[in-house]
Amino acid sequence: MKYVIETQKLSKWYGIVLGLSDVSLQIEPGITGILGPNGAGKSTFLKLVTGQIKPNIGTVTIMGQKVRNNYSLFSRIGFCPEQDSFYEEMTGWEFVTNLLKLYNFSHPEIEARAGEVLKIVELESDKDRIIKSYSRGMRQRLKFAQAIAHEPDIIILDEPLNGMDPLGRRKIIRLIKKYKTQGKTILASSHVLPEIEAMTNKIILIHQGMIFAQGDIQGIRDLIETHPHIVSIKCNNPVKLASEFIKKDYVLKVNFSSTPDVLLVETNNREEFFSFLPSFFVKYNIEVDEISSLDDNLQAVFDYLVGT
Amino acid sequence: MDHKKTVPYFLASLRNVFSFFFFLGRRTKRTKIFYLISFLPVVMAFIIKFSQIFSDSRDFTGIYIFSNMIIVFYIQFLILILALFFGTSVCSDEVEGKTLTYLTTRPVSKSAIILGKYGAYTLLTILMVWIGVILSFFILNVDKLLDFSLYRILLKDLAVLSLGLMCYTSFFTFIGTFLKKSILFGLVFGFGWESVIQYFPGATQRFAIAHYLKSLLPSPPRGRFSFLMFRLEPSSPGMAIFMLFLITAVFLGLACLLFYLKEYILED
Repeated sequence: MKYVIETQKLSKWYGIVLGLSDVSLQIEPGITGILGPNGAGKSTFLKLVTGQIKPNIGTVTIMGQKVRNNYSLFSRIGFCPEQDSFYEEMTGWEFVTNLLKLYNFSHPEIEARAGEVLKIVELESDKDRIIKSYSRGMRQRLKFAQAIAHEPDIIILDEPLNGMDPLGRRKIIRLIKKYKTQGKTILASSHVLPEIEAMTNKIILIHQGMIFAQGDIQGIRDLIETHPHIVSIKCNNPVKLASEFIKKDYVLKVNFSSTPDVLLVETNNREEFFSFLPSFFVKYNIEVDEISSLDDNLQAVFDYLVGT
Repeated sequence: MDHKKTVPYFLASLRNVFSFFFFLGRRTKRTKIFYLISFLPVVMAFIIKFSQIFSDSRDFTGIYIFSNMIIVFYIQFLILILALFFGTSVCSDEVEGKTLTYLTTRPVSKSAIILGKYGAYTLLTILMVWIGVILSFFILNVDKLLDFSLYRILLKDLAVLSLGLMCYTSFFTFIGTFLKKSILFGLVFGFGWESVIQYFPGATQRFAIAHYLKSLLPSPPRGRFSFLMFRLEPSSPGMAIFMLFLITAVFLGLACLLFYLKEYILED
């Protein structure tokens, strides 16, 4: 299959801060999710891919063409930036139509496209309000609208679901999936695993400026399932609970937290641990105030992968 | 909907960027504030004329006051300030406001972005200045509106101020693409370098843009503000116009080149 986006040994640093290191990737049509904690290098990667910044080492090509300062290529790319920045004095309608002007579309076409795209992101009724008065979710949808208004073949979305309500998220995810069926290439970044999971199975794991894994999302899920988890239990009898847990082979470690009545249990089999947990509470008449999984997040998986 | 992708040509891009920022420029708070400032001479002209009529004082003619206003308020202050704030913002507004991404990910060349936005802001400031100048002229010369020789002075003044805005804005556009603290540098240049160098004797004064503008002024002021033309060794009108266009072209070229090559990091 012909790759749409290719990077070779892409590296970028800001002074002494490493932004991205030795990234070689091939991205095919369809949806590819870029997953990584905040500051991992996702935005740097997307800025390099869209030619906004220059790599210190390496190359990036889209459809075989270099990107930076290659203006003709930009009519085929739509980019939704991460930062919440706009020309605040404009209305939503003016923002989209004025940006569409830069594609040299005719006036009726600009109006038709803007009308359609604002309808898609459900800003039709608010299109004449100035952007300054928009809520965070509306601003996010407007950013998305300007990225898709010219119907690009390649859509690059940096944290597109940030600040959106669940309903808005679902709609945008559905839309992104629809673009996939149209043969477009979509590159979306997020630091939230379920967000990426809802969009695609193809995933690139990025951390500390490096690519850690690339492939099917199930593999990442398996890593999460198999690496040790710490569960915090706040209850009225943590000592009794600890004495019972320590006998189980799926429990690796038991610690008492500095917070009173809180027990920290490390398990290598989360499924088994949680399946037996309720029976313990019932059997020893333990009153539970709170159960939380301390490391059920992406950062923990990355920490585990890098061995910190 | 037409799926045909259109790659705009440079001139079309230039026109599109121009119309984008001419439209946006009219809306900004900065424009509104400067519109108010540019109306100060109109208020002053009104007060002066009003007091002249009621006190029956005829010490100074309308055109004398008008010519002094052009040199004292417009050449020495307003066009510098306008060019400084609008010129530097061509690039720095996009970087500081983090809106640069919206422009640099469009099929528009970086030169078209700089030139289009420069053109929009220059026209905007020219219109701002013209309105104030024309109104002041009519107020101050309300009793001599049939003296058509005065209109030649008005037209020449308008042309000189437009050339000044064109030239200073190009210089500050370059400074804005080059430096982070461009306003500070601009203030030092505008009210330091320009204010001092133009009074140096000999060829040194030719290193100030103000020298060429003053060389073109139709009627150098006499009396109280004549010190502003002190030591002026004017260049010929042809040379002055040529130099103003040359400075404009050089700094716009440099601004485009720098904007093309430089990497702007939008800081969080």
